[in-house]
Amino acid sequence: MGRTLVTITQLLNETEANLSAFRRTLRRSDQYIFDGLFAAARRHIAAIGQAESLLPFESALLAMLLEQSKEIAVLEQKVEELIKKNSG
Amino acid sequence: MAEATGWLLDVYAEEDGITLWLLTDDDKRLRLRMEFVVTFYAAGDFSLLRQAWIYLKQKDVRLERTIRRDLFLGERDVMAVTTSDPANIHKLFGDLQRQFPALDYYDADIPITLRFIAQSNVHLLGRCRVILDGEWVQTIEPLSSPWGIDPTPIPLRILTLTPDCNPAIRKPRQLHVKYNQREYSLSLDSPRAFLISLKADLQRLDPDLILTDYGDTWLLPQLIQWSEETGIELNLNRDRERHVLTRKANSYFAYGQVTFRGAQAHLFGRWHIDRKNAMSFGEYGLEGAMEQARVTGIGVQEMARKSPGAGITAMQMLTAQRNNTMVPVQKQQVEGKKTLAELIRADHGGLIYQPIIGLHGNVAQIDFSSMYPAIMVKHNISPETVGRTTKGVSTSVGQDDAPEGLIPKALRPLLEKRLMLKNILSDLDPRDCRVETLKARAAALKWLLVVCFGYLGYKNARFGKIESHEAVTAMSRELMLQAKEVAEDMGFTVLHMYVDCLFVQQAGFHKPSDFTQLMNAIEEKTGIPIALEGVFKWVAFLASKRDARVPVPNQYFGAFQDGSLKYRGIELRRRDTTLWVRKIQLKALESLAHANTPREFADRVPEVMKLVEDAKRDLRMGRVPLGELVIRQRLSRTIEAYKTPSPAAHAARQLQAHGRQFAPGQSLEFLFARNAIGVHAWELDEMLDLGKLDTKRYCRLMDRAMQTIFDPILSHMFTWRLF
Repeated sequence: MGRTLVTITQLLNETEANLSAFRRTLRRSDQYIFDGLFAAARRHIAAIGQAESLLPFESALLAMLLEQSKEIAVLEQKVEELIKKNSG
Repeated sequence: MAEATGWLLDVYAEEDGITLWLLTDDDKRLRLRMEFVVTFYAAGDFSLLRQAWIYLKQKDVRLERTIRRDLFLGERDVMAVTTSDPANIHKLFGDLQRQFPALDYYDADIPITLRFIAQSNVHLLGRCRVILDGEWVQTIEPLSSPWGIDPTPIPLRILTLTPDCNPAIRKPRQLHVKYNQREYSLSLDSPRAFLISLKADLQRLDPDLILTDYGDTWLLPQLIQWSEETGIELNLNRDRERHVLTRKANSYFAYGQVTFRGAQAHLFGRWHIDRKNAMSFGEYGLEGAMEQARVTGIGVQEMARKSPGAGITAMQMLTAQRNNTMVPVQKQQVEGKKTLAELIRADHGGLIYQPIIGLHGNVAQIDFSSMYPAIMVKHNISPETVGRTTKGVSTSVGQDDAPEGLIPKALRPLLEKRLMLKNILSDLDPRDCRVETLKARAAALKWLLVVCFGYLGYKNARFGKIESHEAVTAMSRELMLQAKEVAEDMGFTVLHMYVDCLFVQQAGFHKPSDFTQLMNAIEEKTGIPIALEGVFKWVAFLASKRDARVPVPNQYFGAFQDGSLKYRGIELRRRDTTLWVRKIQLKALESLAHANTPREFADRVPEVMKLVEDAKRDLRMGRVPLGELVIRQRLSRTIEAYKTPSPAAHAARQLQAHGRQFAPGQSLEFLFARNAIGVHAWELDEMLDLGKLDTKRYCRLMDRAMQTIFDPILSHMFTWRLF
């Protein structure tokens, strides 16, 4: 048993560790957002794995974008609801 | 010529055949003898084989050139070496292998029980009929099958021996003896008097099974020592010609951790099982160990102490023997060549779909039944059917049109038997007296099925090949995605998927019958049976403790509609959590299980908070028994190898000062204390002063366990206040 390649979870951990100097240089408030991007990627580990890409971080970036788009869609919906509520 | 019928209890090798023990229908225990020859094979370079032939001609063996089947290489020209001395085949083979290491060897290390079963079709613990000439078996025929659902119960005589304390901690003063409904104690103060009493009991009761606590590591070695010291002869075996077989303790690395296996003491003619040294005895007990012995062909004493992996290997060997396939002594198959792209495609595990963090209402959990073995059987995945290059293309999945592979052939009856047992169980009233036995047997079979997949990829498995392992996971991921698509097509939200189970939800769906259509559709699409584990009134999927935005797979807790709880990956499931924390966390969940919706869950939070505060007050007031605060941790290496000692290593050092020795994999118990090293070993003779107990640390452990429960609801409470 055992895997030859690193898992997507390990790969994200390694990439995050490699970017630690980048993260350190960010403002504290931006660091929280930066961590959020990786959290977003980690919600789609299965999909990144299934993509079977030679460069899995490309898929991880897509996962981050996906979560952002989802958040925007949710916020848009909430804004619409609030507008309707206020206008009604 | 005499005839006898009964149950086959044991088989072992002798210098002139084998010994069988039969428990007859008229309650006799017969020691029978049988002539039995064993054969192993050597293959390879012809000049080497010729030299080996000359070498073996001096020995008392029969040699023959023949053709036999290798699972991967097909028919091979081999030298068959046959001996009528099964007890010494290991020495014969060992000597030959040392002389001719370059030859390939087959069938040389097959346990004698498996050889006997393959030849006679009589299985261990099965019923059989023998025709005898004196004690010698002339013919033997099976009267039952290991795959029978309802085996005739064996009227075993069981003698239970338990010391009054753990001998590793302090010296036992008494031995509790139990036989049928009778119980009494024997004093250990005078070894002579004790041995005389025990010897008389053994002769009078003549048990088939001696069931002990610490029998392997303390009682049997101690009995042998006392017997030598006092000169009182005590043979625990029913077979008077044999001595107790002892095996040394060892530590080994498996499944990511170091495991310690204590010394072993095996008997001949009756069984000895040490409940404290039997691997899964706590899980499925004697009934389970007997079920595994019945289907694997490994003796009950061995099977109780071995991992299920050994059982699966034995089943594969037996299947190979029955199909005239040789069993290689060493694994021959290595991983095939792959390009990087192929490796990236193949090297995956099961599909783990991250859960949606938080508390969810009316969620159904659907499980594929024995998914991996079912895939192996349905898709004919076996090392010899997978990964073959056909027309230049490597087949990554089993060849459905190829003859049934060795692994599916070995697994099919096992899988069918477990499904049948589960079906019977689901139809029985929970109060039915058969339920416990059936559950134990089903659990024992489940463990064999669980490990059979791992053994496809295990580096030392004779019939393992990584490509077949990968083919199973590839198929499982595909089936899980198919199930997800079916669920989404029918309007369900898939909250979480974990290897072989799905958590789904849809507004308005809350009764088990609401999910029947979905299950039928998934089963039709995938061809693998599925079952509804249950419908949760509410279930919480947890976030990482490090970052609340990151979900953690397979960490959840929830309450089914009947109020029963299910929890995975939380403190309550961890062995290193103190009983005190586990009890309070369980009480908290039991209180929350009364909630029918996530909102009702939130309403119950104050009640749970009070429960926790009361528990902490009890701790500070010294009202929690110290035994409930004991932490149990395993040593992962030798004590000297720790650079920064773990609490367990500190506790081990404390005990080392009192002469105790520890091996990697052994567990230690200790309390957190306010002293220089922060722990107090539980086994120390002096009790910890209550004032020295590190209550703050225990409160932190409790807070952490409660945070696990409250975190999922906090985000909901926040949302409910906002919208």
